[in-house]
Parts: sequence; C-alpha cells; structure tokens
Amino acid sequence: MSLTRFLPTPSDRMGILWSLLALENCVILEYGPAGTTHFSIGLFHELGENQQNRLFTTHMSEDDVVMGDVTRLEKAILEIDQNFAPKVIFVVASSVAAVIGTDIKGVCSYMQERVRARLIAFDQGGFRGDYCAGVMETGKLLAQEVALENPEVQENKVNLLGFSMGSYRAASDYRQLTYLLERAFGFQIGACLCGESSIDAVEQMGGARLNLVLREEGLAAAKILKSRFGTPIVTGCPYGYQGTLDWLEKIADRTGCPIEPAFRSELVEKIQGAAQYPMYVRMLKQDQARAVLVGEYHTICGIGRFLQELGISVEVSLCTHSSKLIGKPSEQVVFSSREKERLDMLHQKHRCLILADDASRCVCPADNTIFRISMPVIRGAQIASHLPLMGIEGADQMLEWVEEYLQTLR
Amino acid sequence: MIQAQQTMSDLKKLGSITSSRDIQQLTYAMFPGTHCPLMGAAMAVRGIQKAVLLVIGTDECAYYTKHMTLHSEEFGGVQGRCVSAVLDTRDVTFGCKEKLDAAVAELMEEYQPPAVFLVTTCVVEIIGDDMDAVAQMYTKQYGIPFLSVHTEHFKCENHLPGIERTMSACFEMMRPQEKNNTVNILGQRTGRFETTELYRILTESGIKIGMQLPCGCSVEEIIQAPSAGVNLVLDETALPLARKMKEAFGTPYIRFERFIDPQRIWEAYQMLFDALQRELPPQLEENYKKAQKCVEQVKEKLFGIGYIYGNTPFHCLELNAFLCKIGMIPQLIQTAQIEPEQEKDYLQEILSKTNPYVTKSANIAPLQSLYDVLHPHLYLGHEYPARLRKKGMAVVRCDAASSMLGFEVTEFMLSQLANATEEAHQYQKEVGLR
Repeated sequence: MSLTRFLPTPSDRMGILWSLLALENCVILEYGPAGTTHFSIGLFHELGENQQNRLFTTHMSEDDVVMGDVTRLEKAILEIDQNFAPKVIFVVASSVAAVIGTDIKGVCSYMQERVRARLIAFDQGGFRGDYCAGVMETGKLLAQEVALENPEVQENKVNLLGFSMGSYRAASDYRQLTYLLERAFGFQIGACLCGESSIDAVEQMGGARLNLVLREEGLAAAKILKSRFGTPIVTGCPYGYQGTLDWLEKIADRTGCPIEPAFRSELVEKIQGAAQYPMYVRMLKQDQARAVLVGEYHTICGIGRFLQELGISVEVSLCTHSSKLIGKPSEQVVFSSREKERLDMLHQKHRCLILADDASRCVCPADNTIFRISMPVIRGAQIASHLPLMGIEGADQMLEWVEEYLQTLR
Repeated sequence: MIQAQQTMSDLKKLGSITSSRDIQQLTYAMFPGTHCPLMGAAMAVRGIQKAVLLVIGTDECAYYTKHMTLHSEEFGGVQGRCVSAVLDTRDVTFGCKEKLDAAVAELMEEYQPPAVFLVTTCVVEIIGDDMDAVAQMYTKQYGIPFLSVHTEHFKCENHLPGIERTMSACFEMMRPQEKNNTVNILGQRTGRFETTELYRILTESGIKIGMQLPCGCSVEEIIQAPSAGVNLVLDETALPLARKMKEAFGTPYIRFERFIDPQRIWEAYQMLFDALQRELPPQLEENYKKAQKCVEQVKEKLFGIGYIYGNTPFHCLELNAFLCKIGMIPQLIQTAQIEPEQEKDYLQEILSKTNPYVTKSANIAPLQSLYDVLHPHLYLGHEYPARLRKKGMAVVRCDAASSMLGFEVTEFMLSQLANATEEAHQYQKEVGLR
C-alpha cells in the first residue's frame, strides 16, 4: 500500500478507543499529543458515542518525549480518580508514546496503589494492526481483567462479543439483536463487548448463560470467559431470514431452550416469501442479477449468503480490513491492501447491486444500484437506531433494495 | 466533580506571567485539548488551489485529516487533493522513504499537481526521516515544488504553527519579480478577505490585490508574490513569511490584524496608506468617527460586565485591553501564548484595571466548574449556549468577524457584546443571580 486517496483503514488504537467509549462507568485517558484527541471527536460523535467527561488527553511536550517524563500522566490519573471516581481508568498510549517506548503498563502498575479506580493500560499505539485488532484486544482485556471472579448467575442473560461501534448501523443491530433474543427465548443481553454496555455489566459477564461471538474479534475474549467461567460459545451473525433462523437454532441447541413457536412461524413465513425471488431473477430476459459487496468480513459474508438465496450472484466481495484475525477466510472474499486495486475493480462494474461504504460508492459508475452497508459514512449521517442490517428487519430492508435493483434490469 | 477552588488556586494571574511557559493548564487531564499543527497545515493548503496535501503519518493522523476535508469544496471532498502515505511498523523502523517514493509516483501520475506539500506528523519527526532533503529531491525529480511542512504537536501548543509553517514553506516557490503597486494579503486564516471593509477601501482606492495566502491563491500567484509593493499581515502566523520576503525581495509589510480598538485601526490604515504613498480616503475618517460613537453608545451598558475569554478570531490581548478600556472585566483569559515584552502595551492596559486568571485554551470540560465561582456574565468564544444559560451566562458569538477587517469589527463586536449582555441579565434572573 503506498498512496491512500480516501480514508485509510482505522488503526487498532482507534478500535480500542471506540470500544471503550461504549462502556459506562469508566474514563479513558490518552497519553499523547492533544491534537489526536481533538481530531477524533468528529469520528466518535458520528459513531454516536458520548465523550463528555469520558475521554481525556494529557498532551505531551518535547521534554516528555525526549526525557521520557511521565509526570503529567501520573498527575492526570490522580486528577481523574479524584474528580470523577470512575470504576476503571483506561490509559491508552498514543503513537508517539508507543514509538518512544513509554512503559504505560509500568506507570499504571505503580500508580495503582494511589488511586481507587482500576487502572488498565493499552500500549498498542496504532501499530499492531487495524481496528479489528483493537476490538479484539479490548475484548480480551475486559474478559481477563474486568470480569469478576465470582459473578451472580444470570440464567436469562447472554453476552455479545465481537460487537463493534465502528460497524455501520451498530446501534440498530444492537436493538435488533435485543429483539431477536427476547422474542425467541426471553433472553436479555448481559454485557456487550463493546457497545451500549457498562463496567458493571462487564464485571458480571461471567455469570451469563451463553456468549454469542458475532465476529472473529470476539473469539479470544470468549475463550478466556470459557476457561474462567465455563460459559459456552455460539459463533456467527444473523443476516437474512434463513441466516437468522440458523443463528437462533444454534442458540437453541446450545442452551436447550426452543425458539418460541409463534416467532419461529413468523420467521419461516418470511423465508418462504423470499424463496420466490430466484424465480423472478430467472425470468430476466437480458440481464443477470449481480452484486458487489464491500465491507467488514462478517457483514459481506452474511449478506452475500442472503443475496445468493435470493438468486443474485455475488461477483465481488471486498473486505475493508485485514484477514489476520480470520481463521480460514472464504476464498470468495478479496482482501486487498492496495487501494488502487480495489478502486480499479469497482470502476469496472456496471448494472450491479452495489452494497458498500461511501468511499467505494463514489467511484462506482452511476448505472449501478448502490446502497450503504459499511463505514465510513460520508454523505449524510447515521442517526436512526431502527434500521439494522442484521436479523429480520435487516433482511426486510435488503429485500427492498433488491426490489429496487431488479426493477432496473430487463 | 472537579474542585473549582483547588483548580483556581493552581492558576497564575496575568500580572505574574513572564513567558508563555508560565501559562498553566486548568487540569492535567484535558478535553478536548488543542488542535494539532497537522490540522493547521491542512487549513492552509486548502486555500492554495490545486496543490496536493500529502500527509505522512499513522493511519489515525491520515484518517482524521482526510475526514476533516471530506465536506470541503475547496479540497474536492472524498476524491479531493488531500491524500496520505500511511506508515506501519516497518516504515517506523526502517524509514518511510521507500513507501513515500511509491506514493509520490502514484500521486504525480493521477493528480498532476502544480505543487505538493509533504506534511509530516509526530511519528515522522521522532524517527528523524529528513523530509526537507526528500522534498528537494522530488522537486528536482518531478520539476514541480515539493515543500516539507513539519507538524509535530509535541513541540508546540496548537494548530497555528501548522498554518505558519505552510505559509513560510511557500517562500521556496517565490521568484524575484518586477515591482508593481499590488498588495499581498498574508494570514487571512478563516473567512473571506473580499467581504471585509479593508478590501472595499483598497479596491475603491484603485489598489490591486495580489496573492492572498492562505485564504485563496494559485501556485502561480505565489511564485509572482514578490512583485507586490506591500505585504499586509493580517495575523501573526504570517509574520515569519513577511519577514523573509522583506529580507529577500525588499517587500515592506504592515501589520493590520483584526483589531477592535478604533484608535488602533485608524493607525493601521494610516501606516498602510503611507507605505502605499497614497492619501487616506476621506471615507475612513467617517468610519473612524462612527466607530468611536458606537463605543460611546454601549460603554455604559457594558461597564462592569465580567467575562471569560475563550477562542475568538481576534488578537487576544488587543481585544481584552480594549474591553478593559471601556470598563469590562476579564475574569479568566484562555490563551496558549503571551509575549510580555512584545505585548506590553496591551498588558499595561489590562493590568491597570484588573488582574485576571490565565489558563491554556481548549480544555472546556473542567472549565465548567469555574462558572459557579467566578459568576461571569459572558463567555467569548465557543461554548454550549444552553449549558451557559443554566449558569446565568450568555455566549458572545464572534466567528462572523473572521470575514471582517477595519472599523466594521468594532461595530460588530460591540453589538454582539451588548446583545449578549442583555441575554445574560435575563439568564441571571432565571437562575436567581439577580
């Protein structure tokens, strides 16, 4: 990768920050030049995250860089502990702190006895992979360090792992997952790593009945929780009607709780309705229904399966992050670190259903039918929390997109 | 919650400031913190038509800079002329030259720019890659100016050095020219010069405007900038460039900042027209008298009104000195920089009336605890109006002044202050402070 024309893939540090900001009862302290913190406000605001009294920076002077002086970090930790009394202070290294080799963990270690808050350090600094690595590391550290040893047993609660506030429609997906689990089993979400959750919930997460690993980034945390508390794991994400039913069936198998019959019937009815689509697609006289997907791995795989069920062939699946954390990536998914290659591929697509991020949408020819399924959002804003990509409502929405696309074909 | 009394006891007062290093942060943990010079550089390159901004740094620096430009018409939005070379651990360990070579080759093929600004970030400065030498090499290789701009934030307080260094870097493009009577405009950081009183006065007097850096110019205009008769410095970020141009091309410069004091504005106009060897237009005297009358009209209303000074488009101490002169009371001044020797007139004016607290800017989170102790009427700069209202305070909105220069500034600002004061009286009643 050489020239980046659009937005680069966010770093591990950015993933750590947006994950931690999704947790209440904690404060995040960045050790580094203040400009990065100020610059990040716009992005976190777009992700719907509140930073007021949650995110702070120490700033850093030349003396701190040259002499390795950490006095201002020490003082900032004391000050936050005294002024806000959070349960946890997460100390996050900047790229500068990481390059000069500041021992953030060491500082947290000797400062721990001087504060009431728990101090947890992240020393990645933006150099250990993309945001997926950050989401994974955050989950691991929370599962290892914050989940209490003897939690209350919560039979009707399940945890979500591998959730990312950086995903497009994260808030809507969270609401849809809450709905699905409640309707199907009467389950509630315990802790969500990391979205719309709190340190209190994370502390008690060892008492949950099940850990749902939505994407690969949550697997490491799930393994830690399994080894610490024996919590069983179900992996996967509910995309499309059949995908949603399959996901619920896996949960039913693992917990021994059957899916509520009336809800199951509703879902089966949806699956039967969607089964008509391959016939419509076959009736096209000139065109073929083809899709191009650009986005996060689990999203494009899940949506790709749904589209194929509808009779639409997926021509290209482009993943917007690295494949490092994915055990055995699908051969159908392209992971290209070269932006130019990705752009050239998209330039050549005509009369396709393109589900992508805004940057990719910009380079696609106008004869395509284009909708957004991944970050970044450049045109407009993400405001609604009732427009998921996952679950039944997500599939409903995508079916509307498919209808719109099919009307452009002959 | 933050202990306001403790916080204030740690702060210094204006009278004891001997240099910028004496200005304390309100707290060690800050939010949101200052902007960085990388943003300043991006702001400056935005106004230089067709020039490409190449950010060399981490994913994060590149992401946020591009993010900032996404809705900028001048930058061209998502497909615009802000691009980056993103560094990974390998580049940090072995140097970023190899990656940069490839990125520049792609850039030259696709964008064909008239100039490229190689903007370094903190990490590049720490690893010590010699971007000045690299820029020189590309200049020779591609035959267009490549200019390095250093933007490490750990060596400075805010984004202004980024603007200053970008403007100063433009000096490299300038070539000796035959002199004419145009006036270059240096340092219009925000807003448009064409909407200002100063612009109207100059054009109505038949004086042509030359290069406008950084608010809107082409690379060709930068090259020809030494042809101007006078450089007009609107902001101190443009001073280093003005000094360099004076030394290299003999171009005199006049400081005409966004002053509010009519007396100072009058003097700046006089100096400018002296330098241009022209008579002062008669209209200016009328404007001067009108501004003075305006001061007299609101003086009584504003007398004794206390305020917190935040981030405004004005010269910090000039504005505060003038407001002291008309009887207002600065209780806390937020600024990153005070130069007692160079700004002694302003300091004397303020300290003869009061001795306000001074703290560094861009830390509004802990600032809120001070409202209940200081009970000011007004906040000058950026704060949430609804939050201030609950404390019996009103915000004075100043941003529109970015597109003003001359006596219009006095009239605008006094009117904003008078309106906000009326609001503050109302809000103080609402919260039982009156």
